[in-house]
Amino acid sequence: HFLVCYLINRKKMSLKSERRGIHVDQSELLCKKGCGYYGNPAWQGFCSKCWREEYHKARQKQIQEDWELAERLQREEEEAFASSQTSQGAQSLTFSKFEEKKTNEKTRKVTTVKKFFSASSRVGSKKAEIQEAKAPSPSINRQTSIETDRVSKEFIEFLKTFHKTGQEIYKQTKMFLEAMHYKRNLSTTWDSSCVQNNYKNLTKKKKKRKRMPPERVEKIMDQIEKYIMTRLYKYVFCPETTDDEKKDLAVQKRIRALHWVTPQMLCVPVNEEIPEVSDMVVKAITDIIEMDSKRVPRDKLACITKCSKHIFNAIKITKDEPASADDFLPTLIYIVLKGNPPRLQSNIQYITRFCNPSRLMSGEDGYYFTNLCCAVTFIEKLDAQSLNLSQEDFDRYMSGQTSPRKQESENWSPDACLGVKQMYKNLDLLSQLNERQERIMNEAKKLEKDLIDWTDGIAKKVQDIVEKCPLEIKPPNQSLAAIDSENVENDKLPPPLQPQVYAG
Amino acid sequence: ASFLTKKLNIGGKRVNLAIWDTAGQERFHALGPIYYRDSNGAILVYDITDEDSFQKVKNWVKELRKMLGNEICLCIVGNKIDLEKERHVSIQEAESYAESVGAKHYHTSAKQNKGIEELFLDLCKRMIETAQVDERAKGNGSSQPGAARRGVQIIDDEPQVQSSGGGCCSSG
Repeated sequence: HFLVCYLINRKKMSLKSERRGIHVDQSELLCKKGCGYYGNPAWQGFCSKCWREEYHKARQKQIQEDWELAERLQREEEEAFASSQTSQGAQSLTFSKFEEKKTNEKTRKVTTVKKFFSASSRVGSKKAEIQEAKAPSPSINRQTSIETDRVSKEFIEFLKTFHKTGQEIYKQTKMFLEAMHYKRNLSTTWDSSCVQNNYKNLTKKKKKRKRMPPERVEKIMDQIEKYIMTRLYKYVFCPETTDDEKKDLAVQKRIRALHWVTPQMLCVPVNEEIPEVSDMVVKAITDIIEMDSKRVPRDKLACITKCSKHIFNAIKITKDEPASADDFLPTLIYIVLKGNPPRLQSNIQYITRFCNPSRLMSGEDGYYFTNLCCAVTFIEKLDAQSLNLSQEDFDRYMSGQTSPRKQESENWSPDACLGVKQMYKNLDLLSQLNERQERIMNEAKKLEKDLIDWTDGIAKKVQDIVEKCPLEIKPPNQSLAAIDSENVENDKLPPPLQPQVYAG
Repeated sequence: ASFLTKKLNIGGKRVNLAIWDTAGQERFHALGPIYYRDSNGAILVYDITDEDSFQKVKNWVKELRKMLGNEICLCIVGNKIDLEKERHVSIQEAESYAESVGAKHYHTSAKQNKGIEELFLDLCKRMIETAQVDERAKGNGSSQPGAARRGVQIIDDEPQVQSSGGGCCSSG
């Protein structure tokens, strides 16, 4: 019967929202629980606080029941299908697919629903709502739990190499996790400080004991971070208690609005026409987007670092010299604008809150992370001045009236594929080259002529001068010639000094 | 490169320097605080042949002193002393200015690798001293005075140090 009331509820909801579009009643906006605050359709009409209460209360109970329920539902569904349409092949559907199907085929089932309508009053609608909210969770739960299990196993394997110390670490982390589970509803800042304290304590303890080398402590901390954060990720990433999600959307919108920014405006020292460079740019964008899919803060940082390395390579190939921060930051901004990575603010917040602080404060990862923060801040605050544009131009581009790109690419149709565009560009370049070649040939010919003229001119000039003042050879001066003839006196001079060797 | 770490041994103490390059363009000036918060020292480089770059260093000094107080060790560095003939910033002016703001002045040539080793060693010693004074002042209250801080910061206002900047640190 869950199926039934679920469907009915869906129907009711959709009807409601339709009506809401025309006429909004104040009472409908308030929290369903009647606490006086406004509700939100995303929270099934509850306010954030009541919704969280409902959600968590239901969750504990629901998780166990979910699977039984799923199986039962599937069986029922199969039977229903078997009776109505025989060859639907619904047997192989998993629960989540079944969910999808259910929404798709809602219209078809309306008749079935109507039949069962009377039965719906038996079960409270509230539970159905919870059921609806829970509906997609089994599949997600299963996915995450697979990963959690894998990480847990790895963690235990890793700790086994430390024998007794490992056991202790495991006990501590386990205790910490349990504590976190109980206090899950508290604020995120509190969570964050908890995790940070935990890191600090564990590091200190390990340093005291046995004087472990710092590299080893770091390795253990990395593993602990991985274990804890994989398990807590679900609850602490982009939590409902903060406005991370709102910020995410704001940044995303902002980046979309800035789609017209060209590399030239940012003075990006990267020439994407070089295939190797554009390859690097694509890789960098892929890396920064991939960050969202990682769960451990350190893995997210690694994505940023990988992205940065690709950027450095791109700059190096373009400029043929190692890049400085003056080149790097604009390029990173460009990459972020081009990639528009999902949930950027949430990821930054998550890393800031839950990464091992020693990693974030020093080290390469920290540097690149800081640069990313700078890039995001720059994008948020960006104005006409920072792009070297006039305010009017900036406003026009922002409102979408004109686009700087359009003016450049009018020569070819905008929907031409990349290869064709490249070809046009190359043709353009070739014709330019041709022009230059001709110019050079002309210049060369002119130069040749000039040279010939010049030699002729000089020869003529010389001729003229020679004619004007003909060379006359006068008889040699007698007194000068006498110098050589007086050499006779040399015989009277003493002989030149000879080098002498003194013994001793 | 724009990021480097360097391990030094000063008076038997192991020091790990994290040297950050920051983007110097005017349009990124507002992002400065994100880079330099939690740093122990800053190296402000100007070009001795470029009076304008020295003025920019003065702006940076003002900002850093305002935001971070006396906790940060400032180094003002006149680079390109290989172009002494084209000098536009007088040595006396630069040194007296540095003294007036509690910074130290250095002369370097990144191209010829002159004065850079000394600059970093000296800065390191001064940062350790500052950290120790800090520690004493705070007493036993806080357990980790300078440990969590980031290291050196390079704020580079010199137009083109890229070609030579990398060489100076890696060869040292």
